[in-house]
Amino acid sequence: MRGLLFRRLGVFCVSANGVPCRVGFSVLLCLAGSLGQALEPEPVVVFPPEINLLAKGRQQVVVQQRLANGLSADWSREAVYASSDPSVAVVEQGVVRAQGEGLAKLRVEAAGQVVNVDLFVGAKRGDHRLSFLGDVLPVLGRAGCAGGSCHAKPKGQNGFSLSVFSFDPAADYREVVKDERGRRVFPAFPAESLLLQKPTLAVEHEGGKRLEVGSPFYRIIHDWITQGMPYRLPGESEIEGISVFPGGQRYAKSAEQQLVVTARFADGTNRDVTHLADYSSNDKEVAGVNHDGLVRVGTLSGEGVIVVRYMGEVAQARITVPTDRRYNDAVYAGLPRNNFIDDLAYARFQKLGLLPSDLCSDPEFMRRAFIDTIGLLPEPTEVRRFLADASPDKRAQLIDRLLDDPAYADTWANRWGDLFRPNIARVGLKSAYTIDNWIRECFAANKPYDQMVREIVTAKGSTHRVGPAVIYRTRREPETLTTLFSQSFLGVRLECARCHHHPNEQWSQRDFYQFAAFFAETKRKGTGISPPISAGTQYIYHAPGGTVRHPVSNEAMQPTPLAAKPLDTPAGIDPRETLADWMLEPGNPFFARAMANRVWGQFFGRGIVHPVDDFRTTNPPTNPALLDAVAADFAANGFDLKRLMRRIMNSRLYQLSSIPNRTNAQDTRSFSRFYRRRLSAENLHDIVVQVTGVGSRYNNLRSDARAAELWTTIMDSPMLESFGLPNASRNCPVERDDRPSMVQALHLMNSETLQAKLADKSGRAATLGQAERSPGEVVDELYLSVYSRWPSADERAVAAAAFATEGAKRQEVVEDLLWALLNSAEFVFNH
Amino acid sequence: MNALNRNCAGIARRDFIQLGTGGVLGLGMGDLVRLRADAARLAGKASPDRMNCILVWLDGGPTHYETFDPKPDAPSGVRGEFKPIPTTVPGVSFCETMPKLAKTLDRMAIIRSICHKDPNHGGGNHYMMTGAPTPVPVNCGSSVSFHPSFGSTVSHLRGIRDGLPAYATLPRKSRSAGPHFLGGQHAPFVIDGDPNRTGYRVRDVVLPKSISEGRANTRLKLRRSLDRMLRIADAAAADPAVEFDSFYQQGIDLISSTKAQAAFDVEKEPAEVRDRYGRNDFGQRLLLARRLAGVGVSFVTVYNGGWDHHTNIFKEPFRKKVERVDTGMAALINDLHDRGQLDSTLVLLLGEFGRTPKINKDGGRDHWPHAMSVLVAGAGVPPGQVIGATDVKGYYASENIHSPEDFACSLYTKMGIDPHTILHTNTGRPLPIVNGGAPIKELFG
Repeated sequence: MRGLLFRRLGVFCVSANGVPCRVGFSVLLCLAGSLGQALEPEPVVVFPPEINLLAKGRQQVVVQQRLANGLSADWSREAVYASSDPSVAVVEQGVVRAQGEGLAKLRVEAAGQVVNVDLFVGAKRGDHRLSFLGDVLPVLGRAGCAGGSCHAKPKGQNGFSLSVFSFDPAADYREVVKDERGRRVFPAFPAESLLLQKPTLAVEHEGGKRLEVGSPFYRIIHDWITQGMPYRLPGESEIEGISVFPGGQRYAKSAEQQLVVTARFADGTNRDVTHLADYSSNDKEVAGVNHDGLVRVGTLSGEGVIVVRYMGEVAQARITVPTDRRYNDAVYAGLPRNNFIDDLAYARFQKLGLLPSDLCSDPEFMRRAFIDTIGLLPEPTEVRRFLADASPDKRAQLIDRLLDDPAYADTWANRWGDLFRPNIARVGLKSAYTIDNWIRECFAANKPYDQMVREIVTAKGSTHRVGPAVIYRTRREPETLTTLFSQSFLGVRLECARCHHHPNEQWSQRDFYQFAAFFAETKRKGTGISPPISAGTQYIYHAPGGTVRHPVSNEAMQPTPLAAKPLDTPAGIDPRETLADWMLEPGNPFFARAMANRVWGQFFGRGIVHPVDDFRTTNPPTNPALLDAVAADFAANGFDLKRLMRRIMNSRLYQLSSIPNRTNAQDTRSFSRFYRRRLSAENLHDIVVQVTGVGSRYNNLRSDARAAELWTTIMDSPMLESFGLPNASRNCPVERDDRPSMVQALHLMNSETLQAKLADKSGRAATLGQAERSPGEVVDELYLSVYSRWPSADERAVAAAAFATEGAKRQEVVEDLLWALLNSAEFVFNH
Repeated sequence: MNALNRNCAGIARRDFIQLGTGGVLGLGMGDLVRLRADAARLAGKASPDRMNCILVWLDGGPTHYETFDPKPDAPSGVRGEFKPIPTTVPGVSFCETMPKLAKTLDRMAIIRSICHKDPNHGGGNHYMMTGAPTPVPVNCGSSVSFHPSFGSTVSHLRGIRDGLPAYATLPRKSRSAGPHFLGGQHAPFVIDGDPNRTGYRVRDVVLPKSISEGRANTRLKLRRSLDRMLRIADAAAADPAVEFDSFYQQGIDLISSTKAQAAFDVEKEPAEVRDRYGRNDFGQRLLLARRLAGVGVSFVTVYNGGWDHHTNIFKEPFRKKVERVDTGMAALINDLHDRGQLDSTLVLLLGEFGRTPKINKDGGRDHWPHAMSVLVAGAGVPPGQVIGATDVKGYYASENIHSPEDFACSLYTKMGIDPHTILHTNTGRPLPIVNGGAPIKELFG
């Protein structure tokens, strides 16, 4: 069915006063004839294509088919299985278990098709030997013993402590076999071992029942104790990695998929570890997963990732759930587009069946652009001029004018402060002021971003003169510099890998400490950590000598960037120079993308990768091609931040309305509509000051200073605090909490400081109250100031009527109207 | 009184201290309190889930010698100039600076044996306000946050109850009193200002002084007719404006509730009661804290600074300071008891550590985390006890020694919260609210 349909799209919204409004528009829609290209279902496929088992081995089998609509179906639970020789292997519920050496066939019947799979069971080599590394540790992991909330807590649990995600197997082995004078294992009577008695509840166990007596897992531990508890068997091969099948498929809503997890060993063998692996979902609404690796797709369209972990190795399966609607090329070809951002966004929309919202109105654009670039609103005169301007490129002109506004630097420096603003209690006032100044100068001069980062990564000199050197005063160890720089400049949160293998990632402790080794030769002299008033200066410098060691193996680490080979660090050269060279070289896979994504996040309310500094294979970009293109554009243009912002702001995508159409209300990550977000503490405060015309006073600042000029977050301001100014006592980088709260609502409603600003004799309300203007004109002025738009005829009438109420005092009515607007969602949100 | 709830019929209102049905509405505060007391007595013990906590923080580290743990047999350079006085419990003495609390020991308990190893204000505050030591050493000037505070955790686990902020702090928050990763919704609601001043109002939860109720109604009506930005009804759209509306409505409920408004107004107390707490900012803050806990604010912190006595402990300013604490705390405990609220309120008094045994050259004592005294009352704590002891010179906790983790476990258990509940940080890392430790068994009857 390929045809043209006229469709009327619309969405019902309910405004706060309870009046339903229809936001409707007509769109010519071309509905694609089918969801995918394939028109016939493909043959059923069995995985693995052949089954090789060791004695006592097992293999999870899945039965896949790609349907006519291009989606995957998993028939594993409906299929009928039969083994041609039960003395070789038996099959039950899709799991094949070895019985004896030999060859056989596995017959699988599903979806009206039959597939035969070769099955081979290897020879029994004497006893089935078990080891701690290969058998027992995985069982302890799977039973939950080594969970972060059980025995892998920092102090263990009731004296029994395991390493988190088994990052230190040797220590775990000592803990199990040697500690408590061997009480945990009892080779003479294995069943009497605490290691078995506790999890079976034979003796009291706070963690509850984790094993059934006689179950396969129980037998593994039991037999291993009987066999003398070897740590590793002679010739036992090391694990090299794991893979998951299927790695990425598209599914219908409510579909199910059994996963198969295979461990690869250094000797080339594979082993099915589906029953031992640990599963988690990054978006449970899109797809959940149970203990056994069975994925259940939800009822939303979108993309989810199932993370699979086994013995410190990580793999992931992507679950894509396309929307029920799909529109063909002609629909998207007809959409207006301003630059490459729109091309790539629309390509993504087409995959997900989304249509972009309408273009936002001029007032919405103006308000949005002002807040995002300079953290203020336009004055009424500028609103009037802009709205009356008929030139077709007036939005582009406004963008240029805003990026050149002096308030730009303070606003962006203030946002960047969240990454590097030091705790004055740690570095002293002067140092805090020095780095704040440096950041402001960088943004004022539009210093190329690569240069800015090089100055930070290689900073030397006095913390009272060299801004970026202050970072080394607050971050005093190679380890803490590693977490800050990797997160801020590379978008990689390495913190987890400091203490154990990263739970969702490839990063190991080795990766962490090899990176830390770049800072091994960074030295400090002068007063160290000292109280604020007496803080002297400190000098940061490079001198040879100093190593970073792996905390478990104690091996001296070679400076090595992430996912790369060790770098040659010539003697006498600061290794940080080498690190900066690597970061800034063209084609660095992290650097440009991390900053492009961070800036994107400021303009769109969320990153293409979100959180903006948490790049992981398990947290993929919602539109990889878009992120790559924005990053490449940023790098190709000399890391010019304003240019990047100009590109983003000129895109149609940035100028979409926040009102959804029928296709995209549920889109919260592909940017098919503008996502509303609360004004930040500083922006809200500065805009309240601007709109009321009455300033605030802060310690250590000029009386007319904006909150965006604050150089420390230790401030006595209930408004800033209520709206989420970061607590000065938290370590940077801080994450802002932009959710609304009751305290915020109460503050807008009842704050004495806000009331004082409304009632101030020199404020906007008083000025308007005294002016010889009609009520309607006053209302216009208030709307232009607070909402950057004209009131509708009805709004104008309702507001003007307040002046005519019996006993109303003009001045108070102006205050009350301004109060009402400041307490509305249209004010509190950037929309 | 407050006319908002009468005039503004369109506003949904919840009466949050309603004990039973609407019949209670006509009663005054005093009646309500008595009803509540009866209910508590009938039930035998307050449900831990309804337990509220008033934590009084003496910032700087109060001396244990000159408060609850005098050492008359120590050498003069250690024992100091003050004398011990008997308490209501035979054989137990307090320092002479605490005469009123000495007479109140039959309604409270003192733990003399909590200790840790962090002699810095930053670290000590963090340890005693969150139950977690700092993972790296922090210096004295530091304000650090590595773990959610007690109050934020309670707020997170209990949520907003009865339309009231779950966690309030007067008049400011101490260094590590924040929510850490739990987010701004669980930051303490800071109630600043001096409630001893005439005309004192709690900020933000009552109308601004110059705004009459009629005018407030006019404003709310204007707002309702002009707040026209479309809300996106589909929950999957996660429109933050919808969330804003629900918080705003809760705010309106709070200012429309006569009884909540009364709780914020310390001037509603009889003069005689106000006198008993002491007519000073600290005393009146304790009284306000009692009123807030009484209407269901789960966790109230009262901060009192200036306890870092490196100099002049034996001079007048110290005596004056400690006298206020003695008066205020005794009044609080006795008042809660008389009102039948003591069983449903956990009262704590502590600082970041104790102070050095040897009196320094300036007549003061320095930081000493190896021994400290903590006052615990209410919440079913068996009264009249001294738990643990320090050695004969007061150097070290020597009997029944407890860690800050034990203290934290006791606090959470009293609040009906499993102290080993697992929270998840923003990166998904599981974090027990207290790592290890066990409730102090003497606190549980």
